Amino acid sequence: MSLLPRHSETIEKGTSLGRDAWLRLKKNKLAMMSFWFIIFITAACVLFPAFPGFPDPNKTHLVLKSQGPFSSGVSAEGEKVFFLLGSDHLGHDIFSRIIHGGRVSLMVGLIATAVSLTIGLIYGAVAGFIGGRTDSVMMRIVDILYALPFFITVIILTTYFGNHLWLLFVCIGAVEWLTMARIVRAQVQSLSKQEFIEAARSLGLSKWRIIFRHLIPNTLGPVIVYTTLTVPAVMRLEAILSFLGLGVQPPNASWGSLIKEGADRMASDPYLLIFPAIVFGLTLFALNFLGDGLRDALDPKSSKD
Amino acid sequence: MNLLLPQLDQTGYSPGPNRVQSRIQQGTVLVFGLILCSLLLSGCGKRESKVDRATREGMLLIGNGGEPKALDPHLVTSVGDSAIMRAMFEGLVTYHPSNDATHAPGVAERWEANDKKTVWTFYLRKNAKWSNGDPVTAHDFVYSYHRILHPEMGAPYASMLYFLRNAKEYNTDKEGKVPFEDVGVKALDDYTLELTLPNPTPFLPDVLKHTTWLPVHKPTIEKYGGMTEHFTDWQKPGNSVSNGAFQVTKWRVGSYVRVEKNPYYWDKDNVKLNGVEFYAFENSFTEERAFRNGLIHKTYVVPPNLIPLYKEKKSPELRLEPYIGTYFYRFNCTNEVTGNVHLRRALSAAIDREQIVKYVTQAGEIPAYAFTPPTEGGYQPPRRVKFDPAEAKEHLKNAGYAKGSDVPAFSLFINTSESHTAVAIAILDMWKTHLGIDPKKVTIKNQEWKVYQVTIQDLKYDVARSGWIGDYLDPKTFLSLFTSDDTNNHTGWANDEYDRLFAESDNIGDEAKRFEKLEQLENVLLDELPITPIYWYTTKYLLNDDVRNWNPLLLDNHPFKAVELIAD
Repeated sequence: MSLLPRHSETIEKGTSLGRDAWLRLKKNKLAMMSFWFIIFITAACVLFPAFPGFPDPNKTHLVLKSQGPFSSGVSAEGEKVFFLLGSDHLGHDIFSRIIHGGRVSLMVGLIATAVSLTIGLIYGAVAGFIGGRTDSVMMRIVDILYALPFFITVIILTTYFGNHLWLLFVCIGAVEWLTMARIVRAQVQSLSKQEFIEAARSLGLSKWRIIFRHLIPNTLGPVIVYTTLTVPAVMRLEAILSFLGLGVQPPNASWGSLIKEGADRMASDPYLLIFPAIVFGLTLFALNFLGDGLRDALDPKSSKD
Repeated sequence: MNLLLPQLDQTGYSPGPNRVQSRIQQGTVLVFGLILCSLLLSGCGKRESKVDRATREGMLLIGNGGEPKALDPHLVTSVGDSAIMRAMFEGLVTYHPSNDATHAPGVAERWEANDKKTVWTFYLRKNAKWSNGDPVTAHDFVYSYHRILHPEMGAPYASMLYFLRNAKEYNTDKEGKVPFEDVGVKALDDYTLELTLPNPTPFLPDVLKHTTWLPVHKPTIEKYGGMTEHFTDWQKPGNSVSNGAFQVTKWRVGSYVRVEKNPYYWDKDNVKLNGVEFYAFENSFTEERAFRNGLIHKTYVVPPNLIPLYKEKKSPELRLEPYIGTYFYRFNCTNEVTGNVHLRRALSAAIDREQIVKYVTQAGEIPAYAFTPPTEGGYQPPRRVKFDPAEAKEHLKNAGYAKGSDVPAFSLFINTSESHTAVAIAILDMWKTHLGIDPKKVTIKNQEWKVYQVTIQDLKYDVARSGWIGDYLDPKTFLSLFTSDDTNNHTGWANDEYDRLFAESDNIGDEAKRFEKLEQLENVLLDELPITPIYWYTTKYLLNDDVRNWNPLLLDNHPFKAVELIAD
């Protein structure tokens, strides 16, 4: 009789954290649907305009203005024009504008979120792990930045640097990272008192290695949830800024500006509001469901079921 | 999301019937039913809308375009701001409620002119009072004209007073060589005012109705700063003293200005309203919704896409009336790109005005073929401006650009408004289609009205949308704009021949000959095109049927003292 446990014949294959998460995510139908929907929307926005014959979003057909969905007509230049989702008050093709607007909205959503995620994650983790005076100073800086009124900051920046789209990304990203930093800091503070961090310390790992290898991966659950909430918030901020004339400038469009234009005209042409709102709404839903699914997949402990 | 989707006001809603599913237990149904009933009942009792209450209280609530720049008659320039001034102040002569050509006596009881129409004497009424009880005297008018003409004041509209002898010399003289005593205004005694003009001006009473000729109260101005200081506290409610039918009692920035009856006004028994509230709406759609929800009596404009809907319903609320005004684009003639006259001609000839009027603005505007709108039986402008893509391309070549895509980047400024944006986008696309200008190189820049006005004044634009409404019924109100020293020129364009012809036209007494000269003048303008006219306005607004005595006026300057509110 041996005291040693019996080894099985075949050695089980190890799985990585990522693969584990993917397997769990695959079981969540809603999250998977959302995932494919986001892929589809992104692909459509990136690829559709490349097709030959895709209508120019800024081409006006005054003769064919305010046409309903699935209508076609002959433009002033004698060309045949087909509007899949109708045309607006200047005869712009709404379908084309939604696709082109999606490029702006998605880009703002993704880039600004990425900016805020990177800064917030690193900043919060460093502050939370090092603690003491460094932490106090770093968090007071966050407090000060919090106190700056967002719109006034953006207005000052645009008067200095002019009205560029990249400035919009930077502005939004620079504001959104503050909350992220706070969340990560709180998470890291509680984690750094746990045994596995003690173990890592006693093994003599460097501070940076502990932060990047052990702390940040363990904060991913709440961070991912917050990120998926940030994307819609950012897209909404872009819409508000465009509305104030600080974001996307006419004749270009984003989903926010399309919805705003549609809302103004909903009495006479309701489809101008309905179509962009459906696309925008579905995208936001999908992002939220995907975020939920990812949280469950990455951090099964916090899962509700 | 409030900013994106303005909420419908609660007054328009009553809870609709809900389908209650059978699965819900009976008790729940009962509770639900009770709640629903009470909600429905509370919805049924017709709540008094804001407009109904205002009608009862004699307060007229009107949409007034943007936020007022100032409540100082010597500083305002916009149509909306002038409306507030018209309620607060009264000049020598005032507007008649139904006829543009008639002059209603204001502070002056009567007036007379010499045969040449160069010396005018005004006899002021003795019972005219300021809102603090002080009498209005001829000296007040002298002080006011001094203030607006003072070179240090830099009043944006001072050129309206250039009708007076030496007024221009005094206004433009920075070194102080011309004393104010030389200007043709004199108080013969407390109640007699004499105006001396260098040129015969039979239409002077028309001119005197304008905002710039309104008097201000000297002790108040001096108390809150000097005569020439801008934007001091004197214009604030409580401080402000005015002599019109109303005085300002509240100014909530971004919301409204309220004026109430002036207890010392000489004709207060004939003032029907108790007050007027002027609301700042920058978005015409919001304004239209406010009107529909019973929040205002009258809108400033109507969104173009709703005009067909109102027409279809044969709504008596929709008013479309002729208006003496021009919608045009200014070109900055001091910079390299738009300073090129050939490029200006090309840009102008590539605009299809018929299409803009027919499909974008939709309120029966007239495509402009000149700057000055024609008046029946009066001045007829030359037919010079037209849409001609072939000619436009020719001009583009002359300008030194083989293709439209060579044209360097430039900016197009508009003040924040849906309809200006729509027109700008349409024009941008016409430039692309007919000239091949790369739309990415033209940036449309949106500015809030106050900022936009400063941008235009400082010539910090390339192309800018503008509008000009006649100040009085004479082509001079339009053509004087582009003389090299006019304070509203704002294009940097100066042309000696234009100035010479304009000066010559001033000395002609015979109407027909004067119009001939003015036509020559306008030809010079339309040849050089420091501006390009787009269309001639119509006034378009929605008016609640409680409002009485609001008549169609070519100049759209309604005297508020004649307006009445009667509920049906």
